[in-house]
Amino acid sequence: MSNLIEIRDMMKIYNPGENEVRALDGINLTVEHGEFVAIVGQSGSGKSTLMNMIGCLDIPTSGTYYLDGKNVEKLKDDQLSEIRNEEIGFIFQGFNLISNLTAIENVELPLIYRRVPAAKRSELSTAALIKVGLEHRMDHRPNQMSGGQQQRVAIARALAAAPPVILADEPTGNLDSKSSKEIMDILRELHSEGRTVILITHDDGIAATAERIIRIMDGKIESDTKAGEKTESDMRMGGQNE
Amino acid sequence: MVQIYEYVKMAFSNIKHNKVRSFLTMLGIIIGISSVILIVGIGNGAKNVITSQMSDIGEGQICVYSGDSTDTYYITNKDIEKIKKLDGIKAVSVQDGMQGKVQALKGDFDVNITCVMPDYKYFSNTGIKEGRFFNESEYNAGMPVCTIGEKDAISLFGTTNVVGMKIPVDVYGTNINFKIVGVEKAKSDSFISFDYGEKSVSIVVPETMIRKVYGVEIDNFYAVYILAQKDADTYEVANSVTKMLNNNHKVKADEDIYMVENFSDYMSIVNTVINIVTLIISLIAAISLFVGGIGVMNIMLVSVTERTREIGIRKSLGAKTKSIMLQFLAESVIITLLGGIIGIILGIACATGIASIVSAINPSLAFTPDVGVGAIFVAAAFSSIVGIFFGIYPAKKAAKLSPIEALRRN
Ligand SMILES: Nc1ncnc2c1ncn2[C@@H]1O[C@H](COP(=O)(O)OP(=O)(O)OP(=O)(O)O)[C@@H](O)[C@H]1O
Ligand SMILES: [Mg+2]
Repeated sequence: MSNLIEIRDMMKIYNPGENEVRALDGINLTVEHGEFVAIVGQSGSGKSTLMNMIGCLDIPTSGTYYLDGKNVEKLKDDQLSEIRNEEIGFIFQGFNLISNLTAIENVELPLIYRRVPAAKRSELSTAALIKVGLEHRMDHRPNQMSGGQQQRVAIARALAAAPPVILADEPTGNLDSKSSKEIMDILRELHSEGRTVILITHDDGIAATAERIIRIMDGKIESDTKAGEKTESDMRMGGQNE
Repeated sequence: MVQIYEYVKMAFSNIKHNKVRSFLTMLGIIIGISSVILIVGIGNGAKNVITSQMSDIGEGQICVYSGDSTDTYYITNKDIEKIKKLDGIKAVSVQDGMQGKVQALKGDFDVNITCVMPDYKYFSNTGIKEGRFFNESEYNAGMPVCTIGEKDAISLFGTTNVVGMKIPVDVYGTNINFKIVGVEKAKSDSFISFDYGEKSVSIVVPETMIRKVYGVEIDNFYAVYILAQKDADTYEVANSVTKMLNNNHKVKADEDIYMVENFSDYMSIVNTVINIVTLIISLIAAISLFVGGIGVMNIMLVSVTERTREIGIRKSLGAKTKSIMLQFLAESVIITLLGGIIGIILGIACATGIASIVSAINPSLAFTPDVGVGAIFVAAAFSSIVGIFFGIYPAKKAAKLSPIEALRRN
């Protein structure tokens, strides 16, 4: 079986020329099926940009990307839509809920595009909303909900269709520590069911619970550590403490 | 099929959630379609009234007259008998006038006496209200009978119930007691009507009466009035009449004695005017349709552009370009359809309303609006095409972007 993700020399350059921003600057990354990966890094380091590439939402300036053995560059628009719909559950940093739709309607969207029949759709969406603790807010619109509640709707939307890959961009960014823990428990549960989870976070505590931590700086991978290993900087800090 | 149902449901919910925007879009369509229907309906309705009143007055009428006062060229009874046998002719009559006076209860009246043949009844464009026209035998016998107009009957007798009454008229010193056999309907419901003065009435009598007055047989007519059959070409009929008269009166080939006045000439002038009016109506209709179309286009463009973000979200969740297109197609079809139906109903209602107000104010201007399926169809098709095109074209452009790009546009 091929690796889930294989990225080679990926670049994403915004505004080429004078004010160019190298959001991704030569990324090489391999993720296997069933991994639990945390991506960390400073604000503006390129985490979301990388995540968008992994989620087939954006097109890199250069480099190759194989997803589950398929060369993404060669895929047609409709095939990309299918992958986004069936393979990936994407939790956006900015939620990206549709403001006209209620919580449950938002959660149903990917299921509609997957042609799930209405009854099944509402069953799955209700279950997902209950899972994130929003059973009392199903018919509320985004503007009637708090930031944390909106974030949980976005999470429910990504979970409802039970995709094999979950990409979560700061899923706990707007949540209190108790809710954060609940969400992390859900993600861990999904992982233990065999799904691949890739998670962006600022919170070192949360990152530490992942199997693998990828640290990004200025569009480059600075370090890539499996659980139990120690990075150079960790060792340096450890040395100072002693 | 299931998916189509989803898109229609989605479209309805979106229309509901964007009431103002949907209403504004519909408004453009409603204004475009209803103004076309209103303008075309009223314009055509008025046109129909003018055309029908004009043709009521004299459709198919031809007057052939001698342009030379030499005795040998006067039209005779023999000529008239021959004209009656020509193809395409429905009725032939001469028309002569005499003046008389009558002393009635309401004072002295001048009497315009029109002397005609029995076929006159075909020329009358109003018809008989009471009684009948004089008949063949009364004509042949030269009996003093007459028909009188409704209004004149009222002027003389204060009622239209006058059949059988007599009018004693002094015609150039001879007293003739005309017996009324019929009352002709008034022309007042037509806005093209001729009225003589207050103290004058008109009666129509057999032309054979003239011999009663002058005591001699009359067989010289300056003019003959011909009514062509409905489907006949009046110019051909007139030609065959003049040809026959030229023959009968041995007119030389290079002489032009008999002149023709053809009502179709007046009709064609009227038609030209009406065509110009039609052109102006169509132009105004086209302009209002165009303005409505621009309104629809603007709102559609703005609203779809506003929703680029929504398109980005849907795409990132797995919507295909086709799905986005179908959603926006469903929305614009529903909006244009609703707007179109409202526009058609509103247009017809306004046209009917205006028509009934006009006829209430002035019954002689009464008309029925005539919209025609063609105008409705063109207006509806144009608005729908504009609405649908500008509803899906920007949506398609947005759907072609990568989801992230679409999400960033705002
Ligand atoms: N559309 C864009 N045009 C120009 N520059 C962009 C664009 N999108 C992102 N960038 C730049 O690319 C860099 C990486 O952005 P990205 O959103 O990936 O950061 P991030 O690591 O997710 O930050 P954060 O932790 O704040 O979410 C930033 O410097 C940002 O300014
Ligand atoms: Mg980010």
